[in-house]
Amino acid sequence: MQKEEKQLEQSLEGLIQRVQELKNAIQMFLFKLEHEYETLNWPSVLDNFALLSGQLNSLGRLLKNDKVPALRNHVFLPLVLSPDRDAELEKLTERRVMMFNHAVVPDYLRTKPEPEVDEKISQLTSKAGTVVQETAQKQFNNLNKITSNLLDIINSAKEEWESESNQKSSQPVTFSSTDTNNLVSTILFGKSIKVARKPDSSNTQPQGMPNPQQQQKVQSATVSKAPSAIKTQIKAASSSHPYQRP
Amino acid sequence: MDSTGPMGQVLSSRVAPLLENFLQGSVLDTSKDVLIHRLRGLCDNAENQPEIFHDHEIVFIMQGNPNQQPMYFHVRHSLIHPESWHVRYLGVAEVGDKNKLTLIRHCVDAGASSNVVDFLNEMGFKIDYEFIAKGYFFHKGRMKVTVSKLYKILQPGSTDQVEPLSQSHLVELSVVAPRVQEQIGEDMKNFAEQLKPLVLLEKIDHKRLQQSLESR
Repeated sequence: MQKEEKQLEQSLEGLIQRVQELKNAIQMFLFKLEHEYETLNWPSVLDNFALLSGQLNSLGRLLKNDKVPALRNHVFLPLVLSPDRDAELEKLTERRVMMFNHAVVPDYLRTKPEPEVDEKISQLTSKAGTVVQETAQKQFNNLNKITSNLLDIINSAKEEWESESNQKSSQPVTFSSTDTNNLVSTILFGKSIKVARKPDSSNTQPQGMPNPQQQQKVQSATVSKAPSAIKTQIKAASSSHPYQRP
Repeated sequence: MDSTGPMGQVLSSRVAPLLENFLQGSVLDTSKDVLIHRLRGLCDNAENQPEIFHDHEIVFIMQGNPNQQPMYFHVRHSLIHPESWHVRYLGVAEVGDKNKLTLIRHCVDAGASSNVVDFLNEMGFKIDYEFIAKGYFFHKGRMKVTVSKLYKILQPGSTDQVEPLSQSHLVELSVVAPRVQEQIGEDMKNFAEQLKPLVLLEKIDHKRLQQSLESR
């Protein structure tokens, strides 16, 4: 028994906290609407709605939680009604309810719908009673048919939409960095189009002999007259003769 | 820039040095049409068909002092207008730091006559490599965009027998200006942003590419 009471207390605390949060969010939203309506834009209004709906959801989840005892099994019973001002109550309700008297209790502790609604419901119930069984069955079937059709349409639209948005999120590849590098190497250095000329004279020349004779030789291509000391290199240069096409 | 290079003296003395700001990227052949469509919308003269080109490029090399960078001349010969020849000198591209939004290199452009190849040969230049570039040309203000497909020449001297290189088109965005201007970089960056994610135009580090080529 004690355990149950403890559980009830805990869940009530949680409920109060959630409701408080919800109340704060609504207050902030109202404040914004009243004071910043000139600068407020639609996305931020939507954000506020999203916040409220999230809080309502979490409140609902809390109520459905297994640990929360079924609140409908608990009776709320007003013990004392008084026409005097109640300072404590005033503070608790932020000056919304001044006193706990006969005028407010029926409104705040109401468990039945309002009298007009009640009346309307009873009217409808009596009207439903007069419908012939067969007609009712027919109407049922029709309604079911329509609803299932609608559901089908909505589901297929949803599937279509989802697959579309999936396609959009997975952007197709339109370029390749490797290709960029290869193409740039091609136009700048002749990558993969330069005929494999091993004696690519300029690069294979021994770096340690920058004598003027050698330079002249490469430029004027009078290779055959070079001294024998650099014979090996002459051969290399002669095979890539400037007048030759690759 | 390569002020010590063989062009350095020329550039600093007689010829007005021009700087080319450029960004490079590529687009897969399958997405090329989408890119062309977008470029038509972004660039000037949207109502006209995009200009096309079909060029034969021959790159000549002259190795002066072996300790120095060799000098390259790019000769372009239009196969659509066979009478037009064009010679281009390109300096080494500077990657620079992150504040530089584009690659920058020296360039000298000159129209030429059909005997430019003979002339360069006489000068001692050698053919280093050649290829065919075919594609589209756009401009937006002073920005120039080329989308080109590169082809390998199978038979030297014959520009008909070609074979495509890679499954992509090369995309280049460039502006030639007399001096470094930050506004150019900004403009080009903004333009490149508009082509994302279709094409990623960026600063390609040429030195790194060259090193990776040489190491193989």
